[in-house]
Formats: sequence, structure tokens, C-alpha cells
Amino acid sequence: MAAGFVGFQITWRADVFSGAPQSSSAAQFGTVGINFRARKAVSEEEWNRELAALNCAV
Amino acid sequence: MIPVTAKVPAAAEAIEGLDRDELRRAIRDEYAMVATEPARGFHFHTGRPLAALLGYETGWLEGIPESTIASFAGTGNPFALGTLRNGEFVVDVGCGAGIDSLIASKMVGPTGRVRGVDMTAPMLERAAASARAMSASNVEFTLGYAEQLPVPDAWADVVISNGVMNLFPDKLAGLREMARALKPGGRLQIGDILVSKTVPLSAKRDIGLWKG
Repeated sequence: MAAGFVGFQITWRADVFSGAPQSSSAAQFGTVGINFRARKAVSEEEWNRELAALNCAV
Repeated sequence: MIPVTAKVPAAAEAIEGLDRDELRRAIRDEYAMVATEPARGFHFHTGRPLAALLGYETGWLEGIPESTIASFAGTGNPFALGTLRNGEFVVDVGCGAGIDSLIASKMVGPTGRVRGVDMTAPMLERAAASARAMSASNVEFTLGYAEQLPVPDAWADVVISNGVMNLFPDKLAGLREMARALKPGGRLQIGDILVSKTVPLSAKRDIGLWKG
């Protein structure tokens, strides 16, 4: 089954690097720590339904 | 509103011009140091202070050897996304010295199973030693890559990972493998890193930036 992930959600983000013993060269890209969750679709039907409903504002 | 197609974003694809083996070697060297010299001082926080910063509950760490806690180098908190249930099967991708695997082993109990996977042998040695010290018989640690997880199809109820996905040279391959390992309806609970500015291709090819 080629089902992918649904219900992706970032639940938390924070600066987790400030004050570390060494400075981070990647900090120039605005790195922050995050928590995220998602769920594997239970079926091909759910996956296709979620894909069809996928939208975002641009 | 513009409908988005199913095309995978470029950021998730393998990066042209990036030497995957060289990147893996550099990352292994860096995290071998975190395993063997955790107090050395890195560009990230480590150990018990980091666990507190990320919201780890004190009780979760009870019984876990300090050698594992000291080498903790996560960037988030997979357990803040939901406590694992009794009897669940869990894969910890990039388990490092084993802190999240060992927390998970306590949460899922004796009928659950936890498989920690990491590509850095000194980290796995710490993890396995801690599991033995805790007499944790429901957890095992295996050398391997995120893109080739050593678990059967649809084995896991939950895949956890912490501060590791950002180090995958091919993020799409890693996500596909997580999907393969999960049962239908299985959960991803991930701590990682987000970049809020566009990363140019030249930076993506710079291994020094990946590890620092």
C-alpha cells in the first residue's frame, strides 16, 4: 500500500540552541526545535481523500 | 486558495552534489564524541539540562543511567505529543544513547517492544549498557540507517525520533521507510529542527553546516 501520512501538525516550537557551549553555523537559517505529529493513513481511500482535500493559501 | 499537488517539495528530495557517505561519516564522528565526551561542549545543549529545557518530566528519567542521560542531544520531545500505551511496538529512529527508547520501554511495559536504531556504534554501546543496567528486556538496539530500518513491514504502532530527521541526507527516503515500518493508522511522534529561512543549494552541500 502506498498510503502516506495524514494529520501532520507542528505542536511546539522553541529556540533550543541559544546558550549552547558553541555557536551554531546553521543558526543563520533560523533553526528552531519543533515537535510534530502525523499518522499513517489507515487505507488507500483515506490517503486519496486527504490528497484531494489538500490546499494551502499562497 | 491554490490547490497543492501531490508533488514532494524539493527540500525533501535527495540533494544533488551531496556526498551521502561523507555526510554520514562526519555525523558519526560528531555523535561518537557526544557519546564518549558528552561534557566537551557542542553547538547544541546536552544531557539533563537539555531534557529539562525540552519539557521531559522528571519521572520519565527515573531509573535511566546517567551515562545515557548525559549523551542526550535531542531537539524536541516526542512524548509531549502523547504518552505511549501499554503493549505498543515502537521504533526509535536515531536513538543515540537510548534515552527516548528507554523512556518508551517503561511506557509500553513488558508486553510492548522498542527497537532503537542508530548508525553510531559508541551511542548504541551506551544504550545497550543502560538497558542491561535497567534489566529492560523489551528494548533492543540495532546498528542501521533510517533509510533501511531493521523492522518488518507494518511492525510499529509508533515511530519516534528526536533531532535526527534533519540529518537524513534523503528525507523522503527516511519518511517512506517510517511509513513502511508503521501499521496502518500508526503514529509519528517526532522532535526535530525547522529552518525559517530558505537554505540555498550551496549550503545544503556544505557538510560543515549539517553538523554544526
